[in-house]
Amino acid sequence: MLNLIKADLYRITKTKGFYLYWAIVLVTYIVNIAYKSYGGISLGAPLEYDESLQIDIGAVAMNFTFYFLNIFPVFSIICGEYSEHTIKNSISSTISKKNFFISKYIFTMGYTLFSYVFANYAYYFANRLINGEDYSSTFGEFSGAFFRQFPLMAAIVSLFIGLAFLLRKGAAFNSVTIITPIVYTSAALALYGISSTKKIAEKLLTYETSTMLSRLALDYSSNYTVKCFIISALIIILSLFIGYFSFTKRELE
Amino acid sequence: MHEIVLQTNSLTKQYGKFTALDNANMTVYHQDIYGLIGKNGAGKTTLMKVVTGLTEQTGGTFKLFGKSGSAAAKEKSRIGCLIENPAFFGNMTAYQNLKYYCLQKGITDLSQIDEALKLVNLTDAKNKKFRKFSLGMKQRLGIAFAILDNPDLIILDEPINGLDPIGISELRDTFRKLSQERGITLIISSHILSELYAVANRFLFIDGGKVLKEITKEELDKECSRCIVVTTDDTKKAAAALESKLNITDYKVISETEIRIYDENAKTETLNKTLFQNEINVTGIHESGVSLEEYFKQFVREA
Repeated sequence: MLNLIKADLYRITKTKGFYLYWAIVLVTYIVNIAYKSYGGISLGAPLEYDESLQIDIGAVAMNFTFYFLNIFPVFSIICGEYSEHTIKNSISSTISKKNFFISKYIFTMGYTLFSYVFANYAYYFANRLINGEDYSSTFGEFSGAFFRQFPLMAAIVSLFIGLAFLLRKGAAFNSVTIITPIVYTSAALALYGISSTKKIAEKLLTYETSTMLSRLALDYSSNYTVKCFIISALIIILSLFIGYFSFTKRELE
Repeated sequence: MHEIVLQTNSLTKQYGKFTALDNANMTVYHQDIYGLIGKNGAGKTTLMKVVTGLTEQTGGTFKLFGKSGSAAAKEKSRIGCLIENPAFFGNMTAYQNLKYYCLQKGITDLSQIDEALKLVNLTDAKNKKFRKFSLGMKQRLGIAFAILDNPDLIILDEPINGLDPIGISELRDTFRKLSQERGITLIISSHILSELYAVANRFLFIDGGKVLKEITKEELDKECSRCIVVTTDDTKKAAAALESKLNITDYKVISETEIRIYDENAKTETLNKTLFQNEINVTGIHESGVSLEEYFKQFVREA
C-alpha cells in the first residue's frame, strides 16, 4: 500500500490538475491579500459579520472555493486511472482491489486535505506578513475557525472519492460534483417560495455546504457545530461504503 | 515433473445469462510458453481477467503458484500482465510510466526500466509521451511493463496486435529468451494460430467459453501431420490387425469408427488389403494432413 502511495505522489506532480490547483490558490490569495478582502464564493446567504472580523477569518469563512478546488486532485488521482484504463495494470499485477481502494482513499484524502491545510496556513502567514497584525487574527483564533471546518471538508473529499469510484468517467464525476451544490441551493430556494415547504427550505439552506463552511468558521453555536460534525461523519461512512463496494464488486474494463 | 504455475478447475464466468467461460480446466507448468487459441470472443480474455483478478469467477477455482483464494492474490507481484489494450498515462513519457509502476511494485533498481525498454526496442522513445506513441509502440511498452522486475509468470493478451512483421519476429525471440534464459512462464493469447505455433510449446483451444483441447506442440504436430485415416465399424479389431500383421504402433484411435495411422512407411493399398484379409469392414480410407487452421476449424465445428 505504501508503494502505491509513493507512486501516486510521483504521478500527481505530472498532472495538469496539480499545477492548476496551486495556480488558482495562488492567484486567489494574492488578490485577497492585495485588496484586503475575504474573497471566495458562496451559494448561501451573504456572510454575516461585524466590523471586527479579521480578513483571514473571513477568508476561512469563504472556503467554499475549496469545494471546487478539491475536485482537481480527486479527478487526477482516481478518475485519471479510469479514463486511461490504467487501473487494470495495478490490479492485475500489483495489488488486490481492496488494498488498491484503501491506498487510493488514504492518499487522495491525505493529499487533498494536506493541500487544503497548507494553502490556508500559507495564506494566513503571508497575510500577517504583508498586511500586518491589524489585518490578522491570532494563530489560535485562525486555527479554531479553520479546524471547525475541517471535518466537513474531509467529508466533502470523502464524498468526491466515493463518487469517483462510483461514476468512473471523468465527465460524469465533474458534472455531478460541480452541479450538485447549485442544484441543491436552487431546489431549496424553489421550496422557500412555497409557503407549505418554507420550513423545510430553511432547514435545507441552513445545511447548504457554503453556509455550513461559513457558519462553522464564524462559530455560530456549539449545537450547530455538533450537527455539522454528525453530518460529516455520516457522509464519510456513506461515501466509504459506496466507493468500496462500487469498486470491488464491479468488473474493471 | 515441472512445478505447476497455474491450474484452473471448472473455472466459470457468467454475465447474466451469458456464459463467457464454461468450466474451463487448464494447467500451466513452469517455463511453459502456453498459447491460448480462440476466435474473438472465445473466452481467452475472460480467462485471463479471472486469473489476474480483474473480474471474479462465478464458479470453479484456480491455483496460482499452488495457492488459491486470497493467498493467490498475494502472489500477484510475481505476475507481469498485458490484458487487452496497453493502457498508460498519455501525458507521461514511457520512462515516467514505467517508473510509476516500479514505485508501485516496490522496485528500487530503476535500471530495470532501461533494460525493459531496450528489450522491446523503445530506448530511443523513452522520453516520448505515451499519447504520441504508435499502436505498435504502445504494444511494446505494454510488454516492457509486463516484463519489469523479471516476474515468474507473464500473461499477454494478443501481444502482437499492431506490430509489424519485424516487430513480431523480434518479440518471438524475446519470448523464447525470457522462457529459456530467465525461466519465465508465459501465457500468450492470440487468434493468429501461426504466430502462437511459432513460439508456444503447449496450447489451449477455446471456443464459446469452452475449453476444446489442451495439447502439447508435439501432439499438435502429430495430429496435423500426414496420416492415413481409416474408417471402420470395428476399430479394436483394426488396431489389433495393424499391430500384429503390419507391426504398426504409431497410430491413434480417434473415435469408435476412425483410426489415424502416422507411420511414415504405411501405404494405403497395403493397409486396405490387410484389413480386408482380416475380415475388417473398411468403409473409407484416405491420406490426410491438416493445417493448423483446418485443425482448429475442425474442433470448432465438432464443438
